Amino acid sequence: MQGRLSVWLVKHGLVHRSLGFDYQGIETLQIKPEDWHSIAVILYVYGYNYLRSQCAYDVAPGGLLASVYHLTRIEYGVDQPEEVCIKVFAPRSNPRIPSVFWVWKSSDFQERESYDMLGISYENHPRLKRILMPESWIGWPLRKDYIAPNFYEIQDAH
Amino acid sequence: MAATSSYMACTKFSMLGWSGGKRDLRMKRVLSVSAQQQAEVGETQEAKVQEEQEKVKQQPTQPRPVEKQLNVKSKNMGKEYGGQWLSSVTRHVRIYAAYIDPETSEFDQTQMDKLTLILDPTDEFVWTPETCNKVYSYFQELVDHYEGAPLTEYTLRLIGSDIEHYIRKLLYDGEIKYNMDAKVLNFSMGKPRILFNNNNDGQFQDG
Repeated sequence: MQGRLSVWLVKHGLVHRSLGFDYQGIETLQIKPEDWHSIAVILYVYGYNYLRSQCAYDVAPGGLLASVYHLTRIEYGVDQPEEVCIKVFAPRSNPRIPSVFWVWKSSDFQERESYDMLGISYENHPRLKRILMPESWIGWPLRKDYIAPNFYEIQDAH
Repeated sequence: MAATSSYMACTKFSMLGWSGGKRDLRMKRVLSVSAQQQAEVGETQEAKVQEEQEKVKQQPTQPRPVEKQLNVKSKNMGKEYGGQWLSSVTRHVRIYAAYIDPETSEFDQTQMDKLTLILDPTDEFVWTPETCNKVYSYFQELVDHYEGAPLTEYTLRLIGSDIEHYIRKLLYDGEIKYNMDAKVLNFSMGKPRILFNNNNDGQFQDG
């Protein structure tokens, strides 16, 4: 079962994999990290001018890391805008995904947060550094194999 | 002569600024030890510290405080140096990568090869020289253990947290008690109990 965008991508010979539809019926596609930058540019030109959200998660213990992009096509006079969800998977040992900062500027802080929490390094991001944790922090807190250091906190204050 | 007199004046000012009121009477618990060496520190100093570390290997680790310095002045505290300092601050343990004068509280940030521990500045516990020394030697042990690690906030926080856990253990073993005259009495390490740990029954009384 293919969505509209998937059919369009096939027509133009762009490599992707359809992951079906999410609970709201939004088409979900998987794209390889090495293709992602060129396809992002193509999608922007196609009309997806709004990056609604970018997030990342750890798929499974020892498995892949995923970076997720929700794109929307904003136009005048449309009350049901086209939406699509893109997932890019990267291996945990060397997670490198091209940054889409130069396509959708709003991905700046979100990619930094994904870097901070999961250690995905976004190539060509202008200032990829930790955003929530202190800069000297060691480890990636939202990975499934992260072990929290035994830092002291006030535990029993009354 | 001029230098001496200005030093005395400094003492007065910072004592007033720092504590004020009845806390003047209290002894400040400050210990500075030399930290692990960073790359930018000169070679001679590095060699000296390594000698020191080979010398001391008995149990428990003796604290090796740096010698007291005269005429310490606050240095590199301004905005042009970033306006911040390397530290790990929790309620009972404050560790700074700087030399802090115990009396005048002058904060010399040029001496980043030294770590200064300020123990329990809010006076939550009753300290004796023995229990203080236990904490100091544990601090020295940790500093030796983390030798060669990068001098970052993360490392300092690891050390500070370990000392906090150690203080908690001292409390649970009944070696230190809550100071019932403390300004803030919120029992931040657990409510007082008669029996914290079984090996020391009866020694710890709640105030």
